[in-house]
Amino acid sequence: MKFIKNHLMFILPLMAILLGVEFYLVFDRTTDSYEKGLKEGYSMLVVTKKPMELSAFKALNKHISTSQKIQRENIVSEIAKGMSQSSSKEILSSLPYFYNVGLDSYLHTSALEKIKTDLEMDSNIKKVETFGSSYSSSYRLFSFIKFTLKLFIGFIAVVSLFLIIKQMEIWKYTHRERMQVMEIFGAPLILRSGVLFKAAIVDAFFATILTSVVFLYVKFQWAANSGIDIMMQNQEALFRLTDIAILLGSALLIVIISVYTVVFSNKGVQE
Amino acid sequence: MSNVITASHLTLAYDNGAKEIIKDASFSIKKGEFVFITGPSGSGKSTLLKALFGQLKPTGGNLIVGGLDLANIRQSKLQELRTHMGIIFQDYKLVNEWTVAKNVVLPLMIAGYSVDVQNTQAHRLLKHVKLAEHADKFPLELSGGEQQRVGVARALAKNPVVILADEPTGNLDDYSSNVIWDLMENACQQLETTVLVVTHKIPTIFSLPYRHFIIESKGVYEVH
Repeated sequence: MKFIKNHLMFILPLMAILLGVEFYLVFDRTTDSYEKGLKEGYSMLVVTKKPMELSAFKALNKHISTSQKIQRENIVSEIAKGMSQSSSKEILSSLPYFYNVGLDSYLHTSALEKIKTDLEMDSNIKKVETFGSSYSSSYRLFSFIKFTLKLFIGFIAVVSLFLIIKQMEIWKYTHRERMQVMEIFGAPLILRSGVLFKAAIVDAFFATILTSVVFLYVKFQWAANSGIDIMMQNQEALFRLTDIAILLGSALLIVIISVYTVVFSNKGVQE
Repeated sequence: MSNVITASHLTLAYDNGAKEIIKDASFSIKKGEFVFITGPSGSGKSTLLKALFGQLKPTGGNLIVGGLDLANIRQSKLQELRTHMGIIFQDYKLVNEWTVAKNVVLPLMIAGYSVDVQNTQAHRLLKHVKLAEHADKFPLELSGGEQQRVGVARALAKNPVVILADEPTGNLDDYSSNVIWDLMENACQQLETTVLVVTHKIPTIFSLPYRHFIIESKGVYEVH
């Protein structure tokens, strides 16, 4: 019973960190598609004196990836209803050219301002409308959610790491006699702390398996039957086989860091 | 014969030098010698022993063991030096969750010997200390005298250059004490191991020639 309790005290905080890592991976993957949607749905309006090619826009700023010309005839046909053909032609010839300009990624609002400035430096460009306020509110909300999640995961990771190190200190205390005797007879650090490494590595495997099981359950049982659109649409992104390797790698890294932290705090043989 | 241990103007202290235990001591011990160090309680016998296996750094002078100056030794070198030492404690310092056989072969395990060699040596050493039938037992299943014999077997496991013993018979009856003295005499005589024993009193029955140092008023003096 004591043995199980000892190991659970190590496995549970380690699982908390791994759940945080996996949450981050899942969030990153699902928000990737959302980000893509936001990027594709966004374009700025550019008004030019003369027609402009995409390459000319790209030359002004590297983030510009598409440009779509708005047909002036459609605009004129709306505003020149009931006018003579010659008047329509006159309006058409005096109208500037309009373009919807798309970007290559979801950018910070300051980057949008930079693009606007770059475009406005061209004498052919009369006006740039970034629709910055609506873009900015979506961007800020999105960034805030991401930041909050990272902060939360970071906080959980720090608290869990302290718990892991505490548990490791208990193990070191339990095995101190053996470690002291081994030190007296000249055992190197890696050999005398081998018992800690073994226990921690075994627990790292357990924590990885348990975390994977939790996410596999979420993916194949909960998400599939949840009725929540975003979950059902992103079911594939909820857990991937490569995540097991990432989780195991993270778990091993954490246990190695914590074992070394505890072992190096050893001041030597105490009698 | 070459010196295995050389102390010159050695000072040992605790609390960052504030509490001096041994001051300005000079002595040397040759290969194959049997040495007793005696002195009243608290005189610094165990402190000197701790310094000899590198647990306590000298605060002054030099302490050279096996050619290495323990005042300025790197951890890796100290570990290597300790693998050539056999250390025996009054409280045995056995690993209670290990079998007797595993305790005995600890120095071989540290040196990286194969399991086969370890098993063969465990059998030989335990036979030597007349504990062959207890190989699979745990230390707490043995009497004090038997546990100390395990400690002696462990100290002898790697044919050490020097054996350091801190009150090895302090907790034992006369019979068990004599067995321990016999084992250490044999090691000194047959293997030419230098043996340094810290003790309250020198055994009355002792067949080997030996040197006797006494620690008194922070000094280490040889008794002739």
